[in-house]
Amino acid sequence: MTDLSRRDFLKLTRDGFLYLSGALAFGGLLRFLSHETNSARKTEFDLGFVDKYPLGSRASISEIPALLIHTDSGFTALSLTCTHLGCTLKPNETGFACPCHNSSFDAEGKVTHGPAVKPLKALRIEITDEGNLKVFTA
Amino acid sequence: MRKLIAISSGILLLALSLAWWMNSRQPQPVELMPILTGQPEYCVTCHSDLPEISASHPVETFGCVSCHGGERLALDADLAHSTMRGGANPSDLSVAEISCGGSSCHTGSEADDRDHIQRVMTSVQSTYAGAIANIRYTFGAQTDLTAHQGINAITDERTQTGITALEIFNPTLESNPMIQKFGEECFTCHINAVPREGESYTRQTGCAACHSTEQHQLTTAISYTQCNTCHNRGNYDLRTMTFVERTDHLTNRLEEYYQPIAQFTQCEYTLDCVDCHTRSEVMGDGDLHSNQKDIQYVQCKTCHGTLTELPLTKTLTDPNDIAFRMAFLKPVVDLKLGDTILVTEQGEPLWNTRVLPDGTYEMIGKATKQKFNFRPVMGTACEQKPNEQESHFCHECHAVER
Repeated sequence: MTDLSRRDFLKLTRDGFLYLSGALAFGGLLRFLSHETNSARKTEFDLGFVDKYPLGSRASISEIPALLIHTDSGFTALSLTCTHLGCTLKPNETGFACPCHNSSFDAEGKVTHGPAVKPLKALRIEITDEGNLKVFTA
Repeated sequence: MRKLIAISSGILLLALSLAWWMNSRQPQPVELMPILTGQPEYCVTCHSDLPEISASHPVETFGCVSCHGGERLALDADLAHSTMRGGANPSDLSVAEISCGGSSCHTGSEADDRDHIQRVMTSVQSTYAGAIANIRYTFGAQTDLTAHQGINAITDERTQTGITALEIFNPTLESNPMIQKFGEECFTCHINAVPREGESYTRQTGCAACHSTEQHQLTTAISYTQCNTCHNRGNYDLRTMTFVERTDHLTNRLEEYYQPIAQFTQCEYTLDCVDCHTRSEVMGDGDLHSNQKDIQYVQCKTCHGTLTELPLTKTLTDPNDIAFRMAFLKPVVDLKLGDTILVTEQGEPLWNTRVLPDGTYEMIGKATKQKFNFRPVMGTACEQKPNEQESHFCHECHAVER
């Protein structure tokens, strides 16, 4: 076994500490840089194959939330987010009602009762080449 | 030199290891992305156990920060809470405008009856103007009972009462020692005051003084017990200018609760205060007033009428009638278009009442959901004189013996 001189021991210790410090600092930097503080809200939703939504269907898509309507004219999607403060609307006999502040909208999304003043947003729809329905909220 | 470098690198490693260890002890953030702000916040990492504050403020929509403020991405409690508005109470009147206001929220217009903050700020419950005016008048600091000063300086540009502004009451500028002492001893009642110590006085300040009856809960179904954290707790002794707390234990609402010299009818010790007293009386009507009597107007006759007049009623024909909004917030009655309800002399709906087909009336307790049936005075053997219609005349016959 080789005798380790005091100088070599100090050098080895110093190098070891510095390498470990570097690794820790690099790890911390990576963690800092990879942290997603502002994970963007999802704005694109793949609803699957169009055949899932036959003619005449009105499908509630809770993930968005929205109502997907399939009529003779094609697909339309109505946002079910209240235009007053953003609560999720519930369907009722005449259209939709807000459980937070009692705004209500008719089946076409027009305001029938405040405090909301703007109609419900019609969302953009695309059908992909593969036949999937995509809804965009922005 | 080498030794110094080795020691320094050791210290660096130790510091980095310590920082890493402390960081690893932080909870894994739980993200909430409220619809209203669209900005992630980590408050629920620690506060997931809090109940939903109200059905009108779901956390998925509002989040925490839009009302409370605070550092939305901080996981360290001190840092996260460092910029919160009003401490744990964002409805304190010093910050309510920022926390609860906004044209879509509680700083709406007078026309749409959503000017809640303006109403509260100018109400006698906030200004304490009546008490201040009375004391200053009594001890010669002003020559009339009109309010000139309040807890805070405030203006009312659209005054309907003639009072356009209140200056701030500063007891240290008063020459009379009794008024000075009033300022020192008697300022625990206005709704933004820190309450007196003791369980009976426990309430928050600002909007939450009335609307928060349990931790992290807002309600409009306010029980009389919440009102009594300020009211009926004792008396001010004007000789010593101190508040004399009640010493009895409040177990029976009629026998032990109210002031012994006052008279009460069954309504007054059975119903909750908010069953009869309106939002305008309690929260203010948006104008500055000189005292409580100027704003409190509901009397027995409001619901019962007089010998010659039935109480005022209104058939609901407008789906936007404020009665529906109020009923929506406290769904104790299934109010429908076409229902006929009682209204006050100022036209405020007593939306928790209904006129029944037999000419009698029904009231549902807003907090208790208890149903009460009552009838008009007209057609009874009541001997009330036409010029004696105020409630205190009713008390002469209908007060309950105690």
